[in-house]
Amino acid sequence: MRPDINILVVDDFSMMRRIIRKLLRELGYMNVAEAEDGNTALPMLESGDFDFLITDWDMPGMAGIELLRAVRDDPELSDLPVLMVTSESRREYVLAAEAAGVDGYMVKPFTLDALRDHVDRVFGSLAVA
Amino acid sequence: MSAELQKNKESCGDQPPAIVGFEHINRYWDPQNSVFAAKLLPGEYYVSTTGEMITTVLGSCISACIRDKVFGIGGMNHFMLPDHAENQNGSWENTKVNAATRYGNYAMEHLINDILKQGGRRDNLEVKLFGGGQVLRIATNIGGKNAQFAESYVRMEGLTLAAIDVEGPYPRKVNYFPATGRVRVKKLEPLHNDTVVSREEKYLHSLVETPVETEIDLF
Repeated sequence: MRPDINILVVDDFSMMRRIIRKLLRELGYMNVAEAEDGNTALPMLESGDFDFLITDWDMPGMAGIELLRAVRDDPELSDLPVLMVTSESRREYVLAAEAAGVDGYMVKPFTLDALRDHVDRVFGSLAVA
Repeated sequence: MSAELQKNKESCGDQPPAIVGFEHINRYWDPQNSVFAAKLLPGEYYVSTTGEMITTVLGSCISACIRDKVFGIGGMNHFMLPDHAENQNGSWENTKVNAATRYGNYAMEHLINDILKQGGRRDNLEVKLFGGGQVLRIATNIGGKNAQFAESYVRMEGLTLAAIDVEGPYPRKVNYFPATGRVRVKKLEPLHNDTVVSREEKYLHSLVETPVETEIDLF
C-alpha cells in the first residue's frame, strides 16, 4: 500500500464524492482530489500527477465510460489504473467497461471492505506486473 | 364506477406503460383524482413522464418528490435510514461514513439518475420533502434523523428545496403529480394507523438484516 498516491474521484453527486473521499481517508489515502464529470476530470488528469482514477458511470457532460476511453487513448494516461463505481450492475455495462479497459468495477452501495479490496487488487496487480 | 368516472377514465385512454425497470410498482386507475396512479411501498421509487399521480403513506419514512420543473419529468422515493444503533455490525462499525448515509445516498441518487435518464436536467430539478414523523414504537427519533438526512442531502447537492413538511407525531398520505409539481399532503390520525407503523417496523428490520452491498467480481 502506498498512502501517498494521488487519487482523483469523479462523480456528479457531491455526497457520493464525499463518501468515497472519507472511505479512502479511512484506508489511509489522504491525497484525494474531486471532479464532477469527465469534462472537468480529463484536463486535471492531463496536467496533474494522478496515480489512480475512481469514476462514476452516469454523469452529465462526459460520462464515466467516455472518460475511461479518453484515458486509455491518451498515451500519457493509458496506464492509469481506473476503478468504476456505479449503480449499473447489468451485464452489458460491466462488459462494456471491461472492454474499455477498466481495472475494477464496483456497484453502489458498497462497504469500506469492498473499496479496500478493489484498491488493493488494483495496486497489487500492478506490483506483480 | 359511476358513469362520469368511467367517462373520465376513457378520456384518459389506456394506462400508460411503466418505464422499464418500474413494472413491479403497483399502478391503477384512481377514480377519486381521475388519474392513473402508482402506489409506493417502503423502499420503492418510481419515475413518470405521463402525468400519473404517485402516492404513498409515510410514517417515519421520507419521500423526496423530485422533478424537472421545465419538462415535467419526475418521481418519488420512499425510504428510511437503517437505525444506526442496531446496525453496528462487522465492517461498518469502524467507519465514519455509516451505512445509514450510504443507504440514504443510494435512495436519492437512484431517483435523480432515473429522472435524468428520462431527459430531466439537473439544473431544472426541484425537490419537495415529506414524512419523517415520530410514529414508530421505539425510543429513537428515526423520523427526525431521516428528515435531517434528506434536508442535508438537498443542500449538499445544491438542489432547490421547493417545499418541506416533515417530522411531527403523525403519519402522512402524500399524492404527488410530477407533471405539474402539485402535492397533496394529508396528515393522518396517529392512533388509527397501525398498518403504517407495522409496515415500517418490518421494513426497518429488513434493512438491518440486509447488508448494503452488491458487488460484481469480474476482475
